[in-house]
Amino acid sequence: MTVTTITAVAPRRFQMTGPTVPRLVAGLVILALWEGVVRGFAPDFVATPTGIVLAFPRVIVSAPFLAALAQTLGAVAEGLAIAIVFGTTIGLAMGRSVLADRVLHHYVNAFYAMPMLVVLPLFSLWFGYTGAARLATVVFSAIFSIVVSVGDGAHSVPHDYLEVAHSFRAGRICTLFEIVLPASLPYFLAGLRIAAGRALIGAVVAEFFTAIGGLGYFILFNSRTFHDNTAFVAVVFLAAFGIGFDLLTSWATRRFLPWYRRDEAAE
Amino acid sequence: MSITASGIRRAAPAAAQGGHIVVRGLTKRYGALSVFEGVDLDVAEREIVALVGPSGCGKTTLLRCVDGLIPAEGAVLVDGEIVREPRPGIAMVFQHFGLFPWKTVYDNVAYGLRMAGVESAEIARRVPQFISLVGLAGFEKAYPYQLSGGMQQRCGLARALAVDPRVLLMDEPFAAVDAQTREILQFELLRIWERQPTTMLFVTHSIEEAVLMGDRVVVLKGRPSRIHEDITVDLPRPRSRATFTLPRFAELRERVWSTLMSEAKKAEFQVGP
Ligand SMILES: Nc1ncnc2c1ncn2[C@@H]1O[C@H](COP(=O)(O)OP(=O)(O)OP(=O)(O)O)[C@@H](O)[C@H]1O
Ligand SMILES: [Mg+2]
Repeated sequence: MTVTTITAVAPRRFQMTGPTVPRLVAGLVILALWEGVVRGFAPDFVATPTGIVLAFPRVIVSAPFLAALAQTLGAVAEGLAIAIVFGTTIGLAMGRSVLADRVLHHYVNAFYAMPMLVVLPLFSLWFGYTGAARLATVVFSAIFSIVVSVGDGAHSVPHDYLEVAHSFRAGRICTLFEIVLPASLPYFLAGLRIAAGRALIGAVVAEFFTAIGGLGYFILFNSRTFHDNTAFVAVVFLAAFGIGFDLLTSWATRRFLPWYRRDEAAE
Repeated sequence: MSITASGIRRAAPAAAQGGHIVVRGLTKRYGALSVFEGVDLDVAEREIVALVGPSGCGKTTLLRCVDGLIPAEGAVLVDGEIVREPRPGIAMVFQHFGLFPWKTVYDNVAYGLRMAGVESAEIARRVPQFISLVGLAGFEKAYPYQLSGGMQQRCGLARALAVDPRVLLMDEPFAAVDAQTREILQFELLRIWERQPTTMLFVTHSIEEAVLMGDRVVVLKGRPSRIHEDITVDLPRPRSRATFTLPRFAELRERVWSTLMSEAKKAEFQVGP
């Protein structure tokens, strides 16, 4: 009945509460089914929602978990930073130079489409079972989506801006940094969002594969030792990463790029 | 030239100004499409020439050629030098404003000065003066999306004026604003020009604006277009709202209008290019 009152006073609120209630109910139903099925039919060690919730406070302050979290996020941050610097550079070159585009286009697209799993054996061969193999996987996973989107952005800079720069006798390098780069920003942000997701997958998969610590290994180790609930706490963190990264980028965009309004640029 | 708090004042000796445009036999083709052919045009120092013509006749293209943005057959000279690339001292106000959305009003106005290599102390001195000259004081930190169309156009005007050009190329600078703002901006520009007369090639769709602003009105028309008429506007300066009421103003407006209309009538009966 609370909902009805709100509807009468402020109809717009109803649009938000409307889908939220069924959504929550659906979530609860799924969780309840999971709980019921596991309790009824599965062995004790299999994770249950209540088990995960109960494990949560213990796990998130435990030293192994925190160390694993720091390792994985550290590698993702480092790898993303490398991918951003080099990906943006290559993307700008491809977007603004016909020669660079001709030379690189097919290779970039081939690597972009390639599953990172196939390069993992190579990386672990080249870098050993070390953090370097993980870092290489993260960079490999993230860089091509940045190259492709920045390339598209740099290629489709509105001619009007370039004409103004030309008219005021701006140099090539100056135009690249002052016009092409900011004009490509919406594309860059779109690419970054994809890159961040892929970077995380890359890090975790590399940890599964090389067993070098981090959240991936944490999950692997705990599930192999029948600590399913503990493993699932890490899974929940990985799932939250996407949401967290999204919030972080939109906060940073509002804070540092006030001119860029997503509602207008979004397509 | 020196700028004072009261605005811009002409201090440089007349000879130092320059800004003489000479266009000879200019022809521009895009593949099979011939935009204009054999255009000859002279604009004297400090003269305002209004360029009118039907949409698509090549007015913007002609300005681009004079600015050195695009190549064409024939010759464009400014103060005796051939224009092949954009040159210092020639500034354009764009039909599409051309403001950078990621720069504030201040940074947009400073852009031309920075590209011209003006030192930063000088930029910090000049930019606020030109911002207040076009009536945007208080909006230094605003981004273009926070401005109305008319304010954006003023910002583009300030950016062009700030580089202290010998030649101003204006491409329908007031087309995007409402009638009242347009009138305000016209008289503001005339006021700025009285203080600091620069050579202007002024494209407009408005016959009244052409007669009000110009020392001459040049009519470009045909397919490919040519300069069809070159009408001297012998109205006294400074021009003001009173200019609209002069009988001579009405005569000149009719003359430009009938030149353009004969084209429009013909175009009605012509199908295709
Ligand atoms: N880059 C280009 N490639 C091919 N054709 C072009 C190009 N730029 C302009 N044109 C053509 O040249 C002609 C003149 O265009 P222009 O923009 O100069 O017209 P305009 O007189 O400024 O028109 P308006 O009054 O509508 O602004 C048009 O027919 C246009 O299609
Ligand atoms: Mg035009």
